Amino acid sequence: MNSQKKFIVSHAPFQHNGSSIEQRSYNIILATLPAILLGLFHYGAPALGVICLSISSAIFWELAMNRISKRPITIGDGNSAMVGIIFAMLLPATTPWWAVITGTFVAIVIGKEIFGGIGSNAFNPAALSVLILILSWKNLFDFDQALLNYNFDFVAVYPLGALKHFGVDAIDTFNILDLFLGRQIGGIGSTFGLGLILGGGYLILRGFIRWEIPLSFLLGISITALLFNISEPARFVGPGFHLFTGYTLIGAFFLATEDSSSPVNTLPMLLYGLGGGIMTVLIRNIGVYIDGVLYAILVMNMVSPLLDKIRPKAIGKVV
Amino acid sequence: MVSSKELKLAYGLAIILFIVGFLSYAAFSSKAPLQPVRIMFQGVAGKVLFDHQTHLGVSGYGIACIDCHHELEDDETATPESCSACHEAESEEEDTPNRTDALHNQCIGCHQDFEAGPTECAFCHIM
Repeated sequence: MNSQKKFIVSHAPFQHNGSSIEQRSYNIILATLPAILLGLFHYGAPALGVICLSISSAIFWELAMNRISKRPITIGDGNSAMVGIIFAMLLPATTPWWAVITGTFVAIVIGKEIFGGIGSNAFNPAALSVLILILSWKNLFDFDQALLNYNFDFVAVYPLGALKHFGVDAIDTFNILDLFLGRQIGGIGSTFGLGLILGGGYLILRGFIRWEIPLSFLLGISITALLFNISEPARFVGPGFHLFTGYTLIGAFFLATEDSSSPVNTLPMLLYGLGGGIMTVLIRNIGVYIDGVLYAILVMNMVSPLLDKIRPKAIGKVV
Repeated sequence: MVSSKELKLAYGLAIILFIVGFLSYAAFSSKAPLQPVRIMFQGVAGKVLFDHQTHLGVSGYGIACIDCHHELEDDETATPESCSACHEAESEEEDTPNRTDALHNQCIGCHQDFEAGPTECAFCHIM
């Protein structure tokens, strides 16, 4: 009758799978490898240069900030290396060295360190950095122009660019299976759909990221793209094309799921992902920009603390 | 708390990857090949992506160099020049039209002759 376990209060809604931040960072880096390997296969040594310089300069920027702000050295947690590799995955293989170093500066210093370091950043550092670079040097991310000298055995036109500039008829040459298998041009590590899904799946199974965000993000993209497509098929392409082009999959698995800029409760996570997906297609279909993933994720990052206000009611009441 | 082992790993990663990155940039800087694969023409009406290889290749349209690089009419053994070597952005000369006119004549003329390819401005120009 008088059970000792009458009233149990626990912290909500934290989850702990027993691993550390270092493990998390290096596991995420491991999960990026399938997508990156195909990038290296397609683009060769220049892509290797971008990836290596991005990781090392990201670590150096964090070390420099630790020294300047006289705080403990935090590079051992692997977070800066992780940001560096994800940032490199979004870049074209021919990105000049100064842009890589400037980009990692923006990602680590402006995107993360000035907010107080790991866990305090309001926005995804890699996404923020790419957008600042796009706004500063828009030709850097013109994939058609950046990859002019590569000879591929597939259609060497950036699919989302072709769709935006020349309409639905222009993308007849693309085959969904080719797009899924990374036979398209784009960022070094953002075009290989299968590799990104494998990496993301690994992270979900290991509990490093939550399934709610990528799933609802992809669902948001699919539903919105389908509605547009049904309403005007001659003007808007179906969901398959949106899912396997641009930054969709890297956004779903590696950008939107970033820990400190995404919500922690289940319903907020679902709304966050869904909102990001819907906004991505809105920007792609009726916006000015070619790809909307990064903008959508940053906007949802901003909304994330508000979404987390939706939480279970506390038990009991204050008298 | 980060252990010294993990700190050493981060230092090691930073140094080794910096060296590999530096060497990759230094040794494999991307130079344009002698025979371009694709060319991006920059124009006030929007950029135009021209697939040089597809126009040239036997598996593509199989056009001979001399069909476009008309300077080879004088010396067939010469190396074809870039269009902008002679056709300047602004030109008053009647014999050498400016770059826009030259490219328009070349592209549109050939496409009309073969009754193929794009017919509207926005089918080539990224507006």
